[in-house]
Amino acid sequence: MSNIVTPIPLVPVVDEPVSEVGQLSQWTLMRLRFARNKLAMTGLIGLLIMYFLVFLGPFVAPNEYTFQNSDYIFGNPSQFTLTSPDGQFGLFMYSTTTVLDQNSFKFVVTTDKTKALPVRFFTKGDPITVLGFIQTDIHLFEVDTPQRIYLMGADSIGRDMFARTLIGGQISMTIGLIGVALSLLFGSVLGTISGYFMGLADDIIQRIIEVISSFPSIPLWAALAASLPPVSESFSALNRYFLITIVLSVIGWTGLARQLRAKVMAYRSADFCMAALSAGGSDARIIFVHMIPNAASHIIVSAALSIPGMILGETALSFLGLGILPPMVSWGALLKDSQQVSVVVQHPWILIPGAAVIITVLFFSFLGDGLRDAVDPYSI
Amino acid sequence: MFSYIMRRLGYMVITMVIISVLGYIIIELPPGSYVDAEISRLRQQGGNLAPEQIAALYQRYGLDKPEYVRFGLWVSGFVRGDFGQSFQYSMPVSDLIFGRLGLTLLFSFLSLILSWGIAIFVGVYSATHRYTVSDYVITILQFVGLAVPNFLLALVLMVFAQNVFKMQVGGLFSAEYVNAPFSVGKFLDLLNHMWIPIIVIGASNTAWLSRVMRANLLDVLNMQYVQTARAKGLKESVVTWKHAFRNAVHPLIMVLGGSLPGIISGETIVAIVLNLPTTGPLYFNALLQKDMYLAGAFLIFLALALLIGNLGADILLAWVDPRIRYE
Amino acid sequence: MSETIGSPTTTTTTSAEIILRIKDLHTYFYTDIGISKALNGVTFDIPSRKVLGIVGESGCGKSVTALSCMRLLPRSAKIPKGEITFFRHKKNGNGSAAPVEEVDLLKLDTMGQEIRSIRGAELAMIFQEPMSSLNPSYTIGDQIGEAIILHQNVDKAEAENRTIKILDQVGMSNPKAMVKRFPHELSGGMRQRAMIAMGLSCNPSVLFADEPTTALDVTTEAQILDLMRDLQAQLGMTIVFITHNLGVVAQMCDSVAVMYLGRIVEQASIEPIFYNPKHPYTKALLNSIPHAGSREHKRLLPIRGVVPDPYSSIKGCPFHPRCNSFMPGKCDVNVPATVTVDNGHTVRCFLYSDEVEQ
Repeated sequence: MSNIVTPIPLVPVVDEPVSEVGQLSQWTLMRLRFARNKLAMTGLIGLLIMYFLVFLGPFVAPNEYTFQNSDYIFGNPSQFTLTSPDGQFGLFMYSTTTVLDQNSFKFVVTTDKTKALPVRFFTKGDPITVLGFIQTDIHLFEVDTPQRIYLMGADSIGRDMFARTLIGGQISMTIGLIGVALSLLFGSVLGTISGYFMGLADDIIQRIIEVISSFPSIPLWAALAASLPPVSESFSALNRYFLITIVLSVIGWTGLARQLRAKVMAYRSADFCMAALSAGGSDARIIFVHMIPNAASHIIVSAALSIPGMILGETALSFLGLGILPPMVSWGALLKDSQQVSVVVQHPWILIPGAAVIITVLFFSFLGDGLRDAVDPYSI
Repeated sequence: MFSYIMRRLGYMVITMVIISVLGYIIIELPPGSYVDAEISRLRQQGGNLAPEQIAALYQRYGLDKPEYVRFGLWVSGFVRGDFGQSFQYSMPVSDLIFGRLGLTLLFSFLSLILSWGIAIFVGVYSATHRYTVSDYVITILQFVGLAVPNFLLALVLMVFAQNVFKMQVGGLFSAEYVNAPFSVGKFLDLLNHMWIPIIVIGASNTAWLSRVMRANLLDVLNMQYVQTARAKGLKESVVTWKHAFRNAVHPLIMVLGGSLPGIISGETIVAIVLNLPTTGPLYFNALLQKDMYLAGAFLIFLALALLIGNLGADILLAWVDPRIRYE
Repeated sequence: MSETIGSPTTTTTTSAEIILRIKDLHTYFYTDIGISKALNGVTFDIPSRKVLGIVGESGCGKSVTALSCMRLLPRSAKIPKGEITFFRHKKNGNGSAAPVEEVDLLKLDTMGQEIRSIRGAELAMIFQEPMSSLNPSYTIGDQIGEAIILHQNVDKAEAENRTIKILDQVGMSNPKAMVKRFPHELSGGMRQRAMIAMGLSCNPSVLFADEPTTALDVTTEAQILDLMRDLQAQLGMTIVFITHNLGVVAQMCDSVAVMYLGRIVEQASIEPIFYNPKHPYTKALLNSIPHAGSREHKRLLPIRGVVPDPYSSIKGCPFHPRCNSFMPGKCDVNVPATVTVDNGHTVRCFLYSDEVEQ
């Protein structure tokens, strides 16, 4: 009997039906998954609307934000109606008068429901500068002077809370972004170095992270912020703004650094990095071409999820008088006026900037969660 | 277990050293000193001091010596329990701190317990009642809880309490009880003043923790050993709490340490709003007045509290998870 | 009264007695994507004190059948049609056989007291992955003892005694020390022994074994199978052995039910299945196993196509797209009914009868 194996004749394989599923890139898949998440889309659209409103603030608000109206100290929000006292349809605002209350010797603003002024759109009001360079005096909606629309009431010196909230939003909504960008930069670099090179660098960086994490955040921020010089000619509010973002990111980078370090350490022993190394790739190449793109989705999610923390941090600091200082306005600085309970009880609209903070943080939370879910199955 | 604790204590000491150095540097960052601030205040009021008087002041407060000498003197005092003098109050820092620190820790601890208790039950409930109406309501509350700044919540609750319940809030005691001797009435008044801080401080922690609890429990409920437990004929509540919860709680204990800084820092700011006699108000005041020994001591003690808290959390984790003990 | 675990019941049951009867069982899973019809009319009897094997590819519904009997299905699963009857054989106080009690398992509340007293004590189940089937936070003594305390109403000390006894019976060396061990301290084989001990601890009438050796290496698998055979002979227990491995079936089972897409397509005693398979699927399964020691170099014949998506529905006999004996016009129109072709040998195929399922 021969020991030679006879070749087995090839049997033609029945054709499998060709797959009709198309091929989509990883990023497209993530985008589609994100779009399916209603909550995340709500967050995204809500934020876009808010940024739009806030940067067109001077135009959207009927009053200029620094205008002090001694006739309207702690005035209540304006009241509107759809029918005027003489029966016309349209949007009207009830006019107000300020009276001196004989008992408490305070000026009280009362609404006169017999007189209503029509609300006009795209008309003249206080002169303003929009987006830094457009000079105009056209506002989105106005009533005839001397009456003014106060959508959210007025503060202790008669300034329009609505206008101040919008302008404050410009600061509050950007400080978070810049702070996170700095944390990202710092955290990515240090985390990657820590995870890739390990050894002494890793030990030192880990100790630093541990120490920083041992400090409670607000006390630490407060101490750092207290060391900043007060606003003066040589040190403008804008300078202070940038230094505050640096202060905020001093704590923020540790979280991302830790996570990135774990990822990089895992990648190091992963097959694709070993392959690149054995093909002669340099360390820089491995890091930038192989590791970071894979970690990119994770980094983005981490960034989005840290923004709420930054916004809340700035709000807290400014509330304490250690953050954004006048003449700059932020939501936290606006809330500083509400530190006295008696003021809040009598004039609750002072707390409206707080609502703006809550809504913004909510939207960012939705966005961050949605990003995290979208990225989940596609990240290594 | 014992060697584990010893090792962690060793690391803690090293970290403490670095923290005290860092703390000192941070406190020294503001340009000028307490004396300078006092002098400029004096000048603003129209007075002035002769150069010799200024030099004498500097000497009295020890500000004429170089940085590292001052640091050395300060740190060496730690061992004796001497943390320097407060400039503002002309008292030893230790006298000022300890009472307030104790109260801070008390509030933080109570908040921690409350937030954990609520978070665990809410998390387990929403995991076992997925897709029901209550689950959705809880999710909304969690999101909102994370978005509200704690000082804002404190303010809102204060307004609410004053308007609706006609309670006097703020401070630790109502006006009539402040100097009164201890009695049941005073104790109840104290409780009345404590509930707002304790709830507010832990609010965002509760929100976030309950979400983590829910996610963990959902993961564990999908595990095979839960099915095994049911197959043995155990009641569903026993399966949930004895088998599933026990394993779902590990990651939570791991983050226990991480939630402490948030609680302590929340306590400091809420105390300012509510005017509580704890660390917060005194610390911020010290920062603004550049009363550096006082501020520095506070900062370092808060960090120490966190380190100890973390150690406690790690020990708890090792006790709960038999696998970690054998490292 | 101290009951030694596993003393064989001295009843006069014949081997023809049924312990569990499943009739026209339908189990559907309701998900976001659609309805997955996992079981589509499963009918078979489980003979008492024997080993029945349930065989099929992944996804055919073998585990779901066992879980349906134990009422351990997830919340998204519903049983719209069918009957599962458990024939409870009890002993009277004097040791004689009490009348057989019929328990309709589907009428019981899934979380209720009655099914919970049955689970573990009368119907037990062991699972595939011993590492994930044991709770990592409790000792195996705790976990086995838990079942004993629950069903046999003894205190902790006595439960520990019985645990040590049963661990000894399943072949664990040094059971006294084993009781204090955690699952992660045991090897795969030891863990599966512990699982078996847990399943047997309360002396159940039926043990569902869902792929108990699939996760083990071959030598350990052989040991565990030997153990299970010995225990079955000793205790006179009924075992339902779920597997996709025909080799294991050949070793362990007295009779076999072959499943495809939620239906039993063939059922017979062990020898007819292997030497006289009727259904094209059974034949194809047997042909796809490599035979050791065959002289000719025969090509392995895989079954063409893949197991279809459970959310899709196929018109007619579900196997026809992959069947080599496909008869157009007949097999793609109606589902064949189960018919008996031999003594105790049933099959569902139009090759043997024209009867159509209702």
